[in-house]
Amino acid sequence: MIIQKCTDVSCDNIFAWLNQGPLTLTITLHLIILVPMVWIYLQEKRKLQHRPPEES
Amino acid sequence: MSQHDPSVWSSTSFWRRSAAWVTGFSAILLIFLTFDTMSQIQMGSDEDLKTGKVRRVPAPTVINHAIEYKMSRKRGHEVPVIGEEQPFFGKIWSPEDARALLHKGKVTVQAKNCMDCHTLLGNGAYYAPDLTKAWLDPAWQKGGLMQTLTRTHSTEEAMAKFLMDPPKYATHTRRMPNLGITRDEAVAIVAFLKHMSAIDTNGFPRNFSKPHQGEVTYAK
Amino acid sequence: MLSKLLAHPAFESPTKRLAMKYFAVALVLFGAQLLFGLLAAIQFLWPDFLFNLLDFSINRMVHINAMVVWMLYAMIGSVYYLLPDETGHEAAGLKLGELVFWILTLAVAVVVLVYLFVQVGPGKDSTIWLITEGREYIEAPRWADIGIVAVVLVFYYNVLGAYLKAERKTGIMTVLVADLLALAGLYLAGMFYTDNISMDQYYWWWVIHLWVEATWEVFVGAIAAWALIKIVGAKRRIVEMWLWIEVLMLFGSGILGLGHHYFWIGTPEYWWEIGALFSSLEPVPLVAMFVHVLYDWGKEQGRTQALENRSAIRNAPAMAWVSINAFGNFLGAGIWGFFHTLPQVNIYTHGTQFTAAHGHLAFFGAYAAILIAMMYLAIQGAAGIRIMRMTALSKWSIALLVFGIMGMTVALTIMGYEQTLVERAELGGGWQAYFTAQNLPWYVQAQGWRLAMGVVTFIGFVLLFVDLLTIGNRQHEERQHEMEPAPAAA
Ligand code: HEC
Ligand code: HEM
Ligand code: HEM
Ligand SMILES: [Fe+2]
Repeated sequence: MIIQKCTDVSCDNIFAWLNQGPLTLTITLHLIILVPMVWIYLQEKRKLQHRPPEES
Repeated sequence: MSQHDPSVWSSTSFWRRSAAWVTGFSAILLIFLTFDTMSQIQMGSDEDLKTGKVRRVPAPTVINHAIEYKMSRKRGHEVPVIGEEQPFFGKIWSPEDARALLHKGKVTVQAKNCMDCHTLLGNGAYYAPDLTKAWLDPAWQKGGLMQTLTRTHSTEEAMAKFLMDPPKYATHTRRMPNLGITRDEAVAIVAFLKHMSAIDTNGFPRNFSKPHQGEVTYAK
Repeated sequence: MLSKLLAHPAFESPTKRLAMKYFAVALVLFGAQLLFGLLAAIQFLWPDFLFNLLDFSINRMVHINAMVVWMLYAMIGSVYYLLPDETGHEAAGLKLGELVFWILTLAVAVVVLVYLFVQVGPGKDSTIWLITEGREYIEAPRWADIGIVAVVLVFYYNVLGAYLKAERKTGIMTVLVADLLALAGLYLAGMFYTDNISMDQYYWWWVIHLWVEATWEVFVGAIAAWALIKIVGAKRRIVEMWLWIEVLMLFGSGILGLGHHYFWIGTPEYWWEIGALFSSLEPVPLVAMFVHVLYDWGKEQGRTQALENRSAIRNAPAMAWVSINAFGNFLGAGIWGFFHTLPQVNIYTHGTQFTAAHGHLAFFGAYAAILIAMMYLAIQGAAGIRIMRMTALSKWSIALLVFGIMGMTVALTIMGYEQTLVERAELGGGWQAYFTAQNLPWYVQAQGWRLAMGVVTFIGFVLLFVDLLTIGNRQHEERQHEMEPAPAAA
């Protein structure tokens, strides 16, 4: 019973389609916002490793 | 390769770039959502009303129809149900006239600042009742208090008469003031209120004016 | 009286002098806000008071418009105040800045006079242009909208000019410059008219929500960062890293958190999920901001105590208000906001006094508090005081304002619960249901307490007003006095 069919007035749009039960839509949106940060993280890591440690 | 293992978590540049990405991408998502929502809340057409196509915000000519607010098993909450044709102020309004009337109604609602006492769609002020489904309130219906008080025989006539001189028909010590509403303006406001009651608000207000009448009874 | 504050000789930067003018008007409008709030609150208890003369709608409109406008004035003042410090330059077009200050102030006066004496117009488009747009918070007529846009453009030009000239672009300034652009741009979303009330409300929330839960919050993040550097000598590197984290979290949750206003206005059901989950995360950055203030304060306090045997705090009233801001933001926006942000709850609380409880605590905690802190900082600068101490007035005004606002919030929360249960859940939210709930003793008593606490708040404001006008000169003179025997100490 977790997956439920869309019951809204209009179901033929991408967001209603992603909305297939509790939280599916919002989790998808959170993921596509946050996952690319991994890439930024790795890039920054590489940049820092190629630089001498900062003086404090 | 250097041996040290610097922490990215304390790097300003990481946070700056992440902030820019998250902000920019959220804004883009909002714009996509807005496009979709706009297409769904565009006012429907008179054609939709005739063919029974459900629109979230119906055409202005919805004022020519009976409106009910009923539980939908499928949706899991109440939805407006648009019924039979029903004259509004004694006539059926053409799409152009209905549109013009709704325009006048909305402008008057803004000009008289109803929203700084009432809520519309639940937004506004909390000094007076929510008007989202006011058209459907039992007080305005046949046999309800207001038709008796105003000596009228329809919801629209009762509402119009009330709006033109609210203190005269006051039912509570907290009265609505006279806002100088003319007959034309009153008719237009009623059209606006009727139209608003036909908007699909995902079930708000819940159980509108239908207190539990089942098992529990309250002592008077 | 005000001019004494403005024309202080210790103040050499013309941009900062302009900032003081904005603060002065802000303070007056703050007072007006509270007075009209009191009138509206009285009408809840005695509905005949000023009936058909100065109706609730008018008092409420002036109340919330004065609030928005005084906060915008104080925000402009804050930016002008920190601009020379952050960029090393004066505002680019000072003469113009001076001119639009007077134009804006005149326009505000005209708008208020029209509100009070014309009040409502006929149901014609001309009313929207000349008298009122009748949309909560942005009721100002369209002519004033256009004027505001022009004024903001001049302000932005001044800020951007100084920013571009700066050799070192600080993180604080970068965030501010980007944020102010978004803040000003969003105002445009509230300037058009549509017959479709659902669309009307859709874009209306772009202004209201994307201001207070996105761009204004980021503004507060930037200002608080700057204030911490000034007040306790927090390290810029740390403060600015925090600032970017805050920007990430505030915009990341706040932009799509907008969905919590799209549950019931005719918009599709998918907003339930988006609104619920994104807005549930909005309190997270508010917790972070609170922790951040305490952390920096504690750290600098420990350091200066150990090394110099003195307090780190160079402006005690400002620090108190920064702390009130940090906690009040978290409490009013974070906790009270989260209370009603899930659709399962909001369907019953939507548009009750519960919303007003949240609105009061959030606006006071998140915005009034930090702007008051900025006023104290500005006065410290204007009077050339090295270390500003609390006066008895500062303390009493804090106590009364905080107590008053918390008291009002609690009273409004009780009303909100009662409405939610009786009017909405039990009776189904119609006309009769509404008045049944309004007339129950719990609601009426709470209205009484709200009014009483409103009076307390107002007294607190009067003390604050006097303190702000006098603290600068008083502590300046005291210092002169102390200095005279040993001028070398400077
Ligand atoms: C100064 C505050 C105020 C303003 C402004 C105001 N109202 Fe009212 N209104 C009230 C009050 C108070 C009541 C309750 C009157 C009573 O019960 O006797 C009320 C009642 C009503 C009702 C009946 C309640 C219901 O649920 O059906 C309607 C309809 C209504 N107002 C519409 C409007 C419209 C339309 C406007 C704008 C043109 C407006 N009001 C402006 C205060 C106001
Ligand atoms: C003297 C103290 C105050 C009193 C008596 C007071 C009273 C009121 C009243 C009666 C309303 C109308 C509520 C309704 O529609 O039912 C209101 C609304 C509002 N007030 Fe106040 N107020 C006071 C102080 C403040 C302060 C200090 C702030 C913020 C800094 C504030 C912000 C607001 C806001 C944002 C609203 C709109 C709320 C909403 O629509 O949910 N008020 N106030
Ligand atoms: C400083 C930040 C905030 C301020 C100043 C603020 C202020 C307000 C105000 C004034 C309203 C009433 C608007 C109206 O007049 O209709 C409101 C509504 C609302 N706020 Fe906030 N808010 C803030 C942050 C938050 C946060 C962080 C959340 C959620 C976690 C939140 C959740 C809500 C919700 C759900 C509503 C709608 C209430 C309703 O349905 O009636 N707010 N806010
Ligand atoms: Fe919001």
